[in-house]
Amino acid sequence: MFQELDPILHSQLRLAIMSLLISVKEAEFTFIKEKTNATAGNLSVQVQKLKEVGYIEVIKEFKDNYPNTTCKITKQGIAAFEDYVKALQQYLQMGQK
Amino acid sequence: MDNNNPDFDPQQSLQLIESMINRAKDKFAEGGFMYLLWGWAVFFLSLTQFVLLHFFQYTYHYIVWMFCWVIVIYQLVHMRKKYRKQKVRTYTDYIIGYIWLTFVVLIFLLGFLIGRLTSGEYYTHIVPIVLALYGMPIFLTGIIMRFKPLIIGGIGCWLLCVITTFIINYDYQFLMIPLAMLIAWIIPGYLLRAKYKSQ
Repeated sequence: MFQELDPILHSQLRLAIMSLLISVKEAEFTFIKEKTNATAGNLSVQVQKLKEVGYIEVIKEFKDNYPNTTCKITKQGIAAFEDYVKALQQYLQMGQK
Repeated sequence: MDNNNPDFDPQQSLQLIESMINRAKDKFAEGGFMYLLWGWAVFFLSLTQFVLLHFFQYTYHYIVWMFCWVIVIYQLVHMRKKYRKQKVRTYTDYIIGYIWLTFVVLIFLLGFLIGRLTSGEYYTHIVPIVLALYGMPIFLTGIIMRFKPLIIGGIGCWLLCVITTFIINYDYQFLMIPLAMLIAWIIPGYLLRAKYKSQ
């Protein structure tokens, strides 16, 4: 029986954000934007979606008098990411058979 | 990067995960500043202490280490600036930061403990113990960063620590500290700087 791929993570940009955040402790919005080549508007919407489902934590603060957003993956996000990768492996194993 | 792509299949998902993880991989965020600052400072301070002790028999030769407070303040200002510029904090940064914090705590604890536990003759033990301790953060940072000069530097400190115990005239033990600074902090510091600039 196939495990269904998490629709939240099975989207290019959201998966890219999660893959970046799983590798670091925390990253600023500008770093994620630079690495994913996404537009600020689109990235902002996807970050908000990931935050709403509890996969990431978004910290808004001021840095040198400018607003600054930092993102961090949550425990729930790590678990969801791991499940997603497991489901992917299942799909790929089936494809090889 | 598109958000919703109907043709986004599991194979592409895996490729995307791999490529993003590679992009986030640690670059050398450390330009060797801390190693060079402390390496040169301790190098000159320990030489000064040796001169005061050996040539002038000055009783308060250890007073030179009070200058470290100035360097600590300078470093804190530098770290604050660096932290504010950083766009990403990796687990490597985080762990290395705590290794150095542990080292600073241990150095202070050691100063306190040796004074408390050894009666009077503490100065005859301090150099080998300090050298043993110097090796720890250098070695671990080298392992985490996969940077051989630091690993060699850390092991070098431990070898010097053993050699020091064979130096009977303890005045000369103080010369092992500048030597340790050269092999464990200053040379790796310049190599780190070169690597940082070339990336």
